[in-house]
Amino acid sequence: MAQEKMLTGCSAAAQALKLAEVEVICSYPIRPYTAIMMELSKMVANGELDAEFVHGEGEHAQLSVVLGASACGARAVTGSAGVGVTYAFELYSPVAGGRYPLQMTIADRTLDPPGDFGSEHTDAMSTRDQGWILGWASTPQEVFDNTLMGYRIGEDPRIMLPQMTCQDGYFISHIPDKVKLADLKQVKEFLPPYSAPHPISTTCPVSHGPQIRPDQGAPMDAQRAATFLDLPKVIKEATEDYNRIFGRNYDPFLEKYKLEDAEIAFFIQGAHSNTCRTAVDTLRKQGLKAGMARPRWVRPWPTREIAEALGHVKAVGSIETSTSYGGAMRGGNLIHELRASLYDLDERPLTTSFMAGLGGETIWPEDFEFMAKVLSQMVREKRAQKYVYWIGFEE
Amino acid sequence: MAKIHEITVWTRGVIMDKEGRDIASAFGDAVAMEGKHVQVFDNYEDLPDRVLVTTRKYVRISDEEIEHKYVYTNDHPDVVVVAEPTIVKGINVLKGLKEGGLLIINTNRPIDYMLQFIPNADELGAIATVDADGISGVRTIDFSGSEGGVDAVGVGAGIAAPIVGAMARVTGMAKKENLAKIVKDVAGMERGYNEVKLQKFRKFKSSLGSLQG
Amino acid sequence: MSKKLPEFGTINVPHERAVPFGAVTPAPVHVQELFMTSNWRIVRPVIDNEKCTRCLTCYIACPDSCWSYNEEEDVMEWNAGFCKGCQICIKQCPSDALTAVPELDFPDGVVRLEKPF
Repeated sequence: MAQEKMLTGCSAAAQALKLAEVEVICSYPIRPYTAIMMELSKMVANGELDAEFVHGEGEHAQLSVVLGASACGARAVTGSAGVGVTYAFELYSPVAGGRYPLQMTIADRTLDPPGDFGSEHTDAMSTRDQGWILGWASTPQEVFDNTLMGYRIGEDPRIMLPQMTCQDGYFISHIPDKVKLADLKQVKEFLPPYSAPHPISTTCPVSHGPQIRPDQGAPMDAQRAATFLDLPKVIKEATEDYNRIFGRNYDPFLEKYKLEDAEIAFFIQGAHSNTCRTAVDTLRKQGLKAGMARPRWVRPWPTREIAEALGHVKAVGSIETSTSYGGAMRGGNLIHELRASLYDLDERPLTTSFMAGLGGETIWPEDFEFMAKVLSQMVREKRAQKYVYWIGFEE
Repeated sequence: MAKIHEITVWTRGVIMDKEGRDIASAFGDAVAMEGKHVQVFDNYEDLPDRVLVTTRKYVRISDEEIEHKYVYTNDHPDVVVVAEPTIVKGINVLKGLKEGGLLIINTNRPIDYMLQFIPNADELGAIATVDADGISGVRTIDFSGSEGGVDAVGVGAGIAAPIVGAMARVTGMAKKENLAKIVKDVAGMERGYNEVKLQKFRKFKSSLGSLQG
Repeated sequence: MSKKLPEFGTINVPHERAVPFGAVTPAPVHVQELFMTSNWRIVRPVIDNEKCTRCLTCYIACPDSCWSYNEEEDVMEWNAGFCKGCQICIKQCPSDALTAVPELDFPDGVVRLEKPF
């Protein structure tokens, strides 16, 4: 019988990786994700996990090591946080282009300068155009679940793509919460062994990542784009299987909280959605029909699901925990794609965005009340006054 | 669209890449001095500096402004220049050649000997040879010139000079006097102009301006 | 939501243009037909079997493994399809058994690719 334990997000990730029987691990320390590697190294040292544990000399090396491991046919994992994520940047496109379905486990950290270690999603968000499957958990439980789902989706022979499973630093990575673990039997049923299509081997030698000609570049891009078209179907299958085998209740793409009759809605990903949920309840007690939508994956972006879930809402506020300086709305990243997803509707909600939870700051219940006021005002005036509100710096 | 004459120069990576570039740019500059519109390009795909690999340089000439510059390959050249003769064994240099086009090879071998390696020579209007290595004896090398850096050697100091001289003579597209203002080795250029050998074929047309023998 | 939303459509890469994951290619165990390099050659190394002592220095020196030893006939064999004419074997040969001869002296060995590799 699967145990339930109080675990931090880092421990939950390590437990899931152990159950996934990862074969190659490459570590380099950076807060707050380091605890995942500390747990894994203990497991390897105690003989609980039969894996190669490699110390990289930096994040670029970390990703290079697991690229090679995955090319040889091993289930591989690495991870990072903050500037570690950006130091590895050169490797993101070769890993995705080479179709190595390794996993990178991220606990978000604000990018430098000057060394703020609080959570902010900009680190992993900045990799969103590199061809990885990318998504955020909102609880340690979801970290555990997304880790297993990540491998299942990425290693699917129709997909073969790397995954970045993210959790907010500190909030999820360091605050323990109840986590239902799983039995190895359940995991075996859900997650078949990884089989690389062209593994590097001495008996059947192949060259990985050779120089290609410009006329091969376009088909490679098109093939990857086609894979991303197939991805939602595979995510849906994997989520349904996961829910069935492990007794969970995840929506594959979008958590919808009290949206059916909502007039205003928050669009938020990651840890602060927990505060948001209670804020929605409080606002409803005050008579305001509020709701919340939470994307589980940023890549692939749930375009259609957003249009269906939020089309009837009068005003949507996107809560941005990442920055996109000088972007279309001069705020965060989510608002661009949220607005794009709603654009083709005959009647679409008014939208705005709120910069909150940056640099590791808490988003307080009062902040959600302020946002609700802004959204209600938009409904009354039938227009948005501003594209972006900086929470804590508004009148 | 403007009528464009295309010249493709075949050369080899690193050891003769600068000579190929000099042929294209010196010839293009000379034509431009007559008020024509000219474009000169490297083939970017061929370019990575690999010793001996075959590389292409392109010249385009027109009386009017040439609209395209990013569709940069010469798919239907009027003139093909082969700066290193062994290339004819390894590449179908006449691919896409306009009917009655010209082939100019830097070699001291007889034209008839070279023709054994060119099975599609019946597409040619004429073939010309010039012994540029015999005339100049210098192959200038500039490792950084193609993709930035300083070209301290100057243009047309090596075998490019006799080759552009020969090109001027058989195509009539550029004036010897203008080339003399561009190339460093003016004597070599003039010898190329005077010593080029030409063999005309059935498809020979004098459509390339004042083609002379 | 009254209007029908646009579709994502499909992307079809024709079979002949498709590239394997990571552009994986079979490793050149002996010869790699995809990467023919014989048209890089200006001169060809010609062997004098009388002078050759079968020391295999050329086999070791060649960056492209174009020399191999044929045990049955006790001769060194040259791979015309991949030799780039770099002349390293000629410079390394301790018994002066190899000479550089212009490729154009030979009527054979014509490759004539459509474009450079």
